Amino acid sequence: MEYTDDILIFKTNVKSAPDQLRLKELFDSIPSINNWNVDADDIDCVLRIVTRQVQADDIIKLLTATGYQCQELE
Amino acid sequence: MRVRDEHKEATIRQKAMEMIVAEGFHGFSMQRLAKAANVSPATIYIYFKNKEDLLNSLYNDVHQTFARVALENFDPNASLEDGLWLQWKNRMKFIFEYPSHYRFYDQFRNSPLIHHKDIKESGFKEAMKSFVMNAIIRDEMARIEPETFWSIAYGPFYSLLNFHLMGKSMMSDQYTVSDEKMKRLLRLVLKALRP
Repeated sequence: MEYTDDILIFKTNVKSAPDQLRLKELFDSIPSINNWNVDADDIDCVLRIVTRQVQADDIIKLLTATGYQCQELE
Repeated sequence: MRVRDEHKEATIRQKAMEMIVAEGFHGFSMQRLAKAANVSPATIYIYFKNKEDLLNSLYNDVHQTFARVALENFDPNASLEDGLWLQWKNRMKFIFEYPSHYRFYDQFRNSPLIHHKDIKESGFKEAMKSFVMNAIIRDEMARIEPETFWSIAYGPFYSLLNFHLMGKSMMSDQYTVSDEKMKRLLRLVLKALRP
């Protein structure tokens, strides 16, 4: 059972395969991220993360520090 | 903790199906769906990972409904005539009760999307297979390939039904099916299937 508040949704500019690989390296090091994907077909390159512990702000800080745009999708 | 809102999810599914039926797969996007369903794009992503995930989930859901309706009161040991008649009746019921489901189902099955690894087929196929095998064993029908069987047993049915759904045929501007017309067609189909 997935609870909806365990799912974080962001608008990003993670588009290409190398970008996604970079993200994989980042997220692989965070065990509390259970599942994630980027919808590269979408205009907002939506990043979807299933996690119980990580906060949205932490993800935004992490991606921004890595050089990507990232904000919570309304 | 907030649990999935099934009502909201159902609205998104229904809207997505209607959009695809009206406009096809090509122009469909999560953004446009959000607008049409009057929810934020983020809400859609709560329920579905991406467009592919949404479409596969829609199809699997519709297939389940189709299989449930098609198998209602169906006995794979029934005679060819009774079994096929019930299949036609049940399929008509599905098409009339769930028109957008049917059109989505038809579109999806005729697109390359049907080959996706996440597409699940239920026990429906097995029930149909054993129905046909039983009819062959009882010598009620010729031993023919499954594709040939389907073409004869269901091709005419869907063709006639399509005239009804279009509301017209090449001969008349107003065409509607009836049980009587379907029964007449069934008798011809059974004749063609005989050994």
